[in-house]
Amino acid sequence: MNKIILTTALVACFSLPAWGHTPICDCYNNGDDTITCEGGFSDGGSAAGIAMSIVDASGKVLIQGKMSEYSDYTFDTPKSNFRVVYQAGDGHVIEIDSRDIEE
Amino acid sequence: MNKTLTITIAISLIILSNIGQAHFQLLYTPESALNQAQSTEIALVFSHPFHNGYPMSMGTPLEFYVIQDRGESIPTKTTDLREYLQPVTWTNSDNQQAASFVAKLPRAITRSIGDYSFVLVPEPYYEEPEDKYIQQYTRTMINIGGVPGSWDKPLGLPVEIVPLDKPYANWVGGVFRGVVIANGKPVPNAEIEIEYLNHEPLIDQAMFDPNGKIEAPQGSFGTMSIRANDRGEVTIGLPKAGWWGICALDLDDGETYNGKDLSVDAVLWVRAYAP
Repeated sequence: MNKIILTTALVACFSLPAWGHTPICDCYNNGDDTITCEGGFSDGGSAAGIAMSIVDASGKVLIQGKMSEYSDYTFDTPKSNFRVVYQAGDGHVIEIDSRDIEE
Repeated sequence: MNKTLTITIAISLIILSNIGQAHFQLLYTPESALNQAQSTEIALVFSHPFHNGYPMSMGTPLEFYVIQDRGESIPTKTTDLREYLQPVTWTNSDNQQAASFVAKLPRAITRSIGDYSFVLVPEPYYEEPEDKYIQQYTRTMINIGGVPGSWDKPLGLPVEIVPLDKPYANWVGGVFRGVVIANGKPVPNAEIEIEYLNHEPLIDQAMFDPNGKIEAPQGSFGTMSIRANDRGEVTIGLPKAGWWGICALDLDDGETYNGKDLSVDAVLWVRAYAP
């Protein structure tokens, strides 16, 4: 019985990092034909290095990059509608439509 | 009854009605936890938030700024907000008026995700009945998007209440904890007053909502006087949605202003949300 409890406790502990935080990303228009996106996690964890993709309506990748050491990413504004894809791992993907990005 | 006596009685009633009501520096914005960036309106009013008591006139704030940050490795950014201060005449339901301020901040100030600590250092207020000055270092926090910053760190003010829980993200029915510090050190057994912001500020009308949200069953409940523990920690319950003010009183070491006693207080506002 004690082993079962211990095993359950260990599984719970090691599982926590996977669902103990929520990915967060938001973008704004800098007003100079560039967009800045900022990322992070609900536990305050850094988003540095997280892959960013800018894709068009058909899903074609227009721009690819990574979050900086300050957990942000700036790119030139594409001419047509696009989506920002913040890829923070399985189940941790956020997509933002260009029409929701304000100055 | 002659005129002088009538005026004397009227003034006495105003002073008496003020007993049991704490002075609180409001640094009010409607919401503390926002999903997306937006322009922010802030009201700076010195008043008695539970009783809709008369507001008191403020001088021009000495300092008014916001400290912004998010995550673990991103430097904090401080923005002076004094250029956005607009003088207004704030009115309560008894038509008592006081010089106050409103700040309408453009979206660019609060468009990043993360924590924002708004800080106000007001000009000392002369409290005539006690023949002393009051100066309340006031902090109100909001968060945008849900990425926390350094909400649990001291701001470096001479006096402050350092949060142990996020002041902007609390459930009704939970508790909020903080540590009272002066010059960087905890203040054991600090004298604390708690008030609920019972009359919602209506910023566009520069007045409080005449209708309070709750009624106090007795005088002890409007301004709740408690003590910090021997480590300077204070814990308050949050039984109702809205803003709760915590004020740690007289944390200075015998400071004076204009030759009179100056009470240097620390105010922190805490927002509770209903499940």
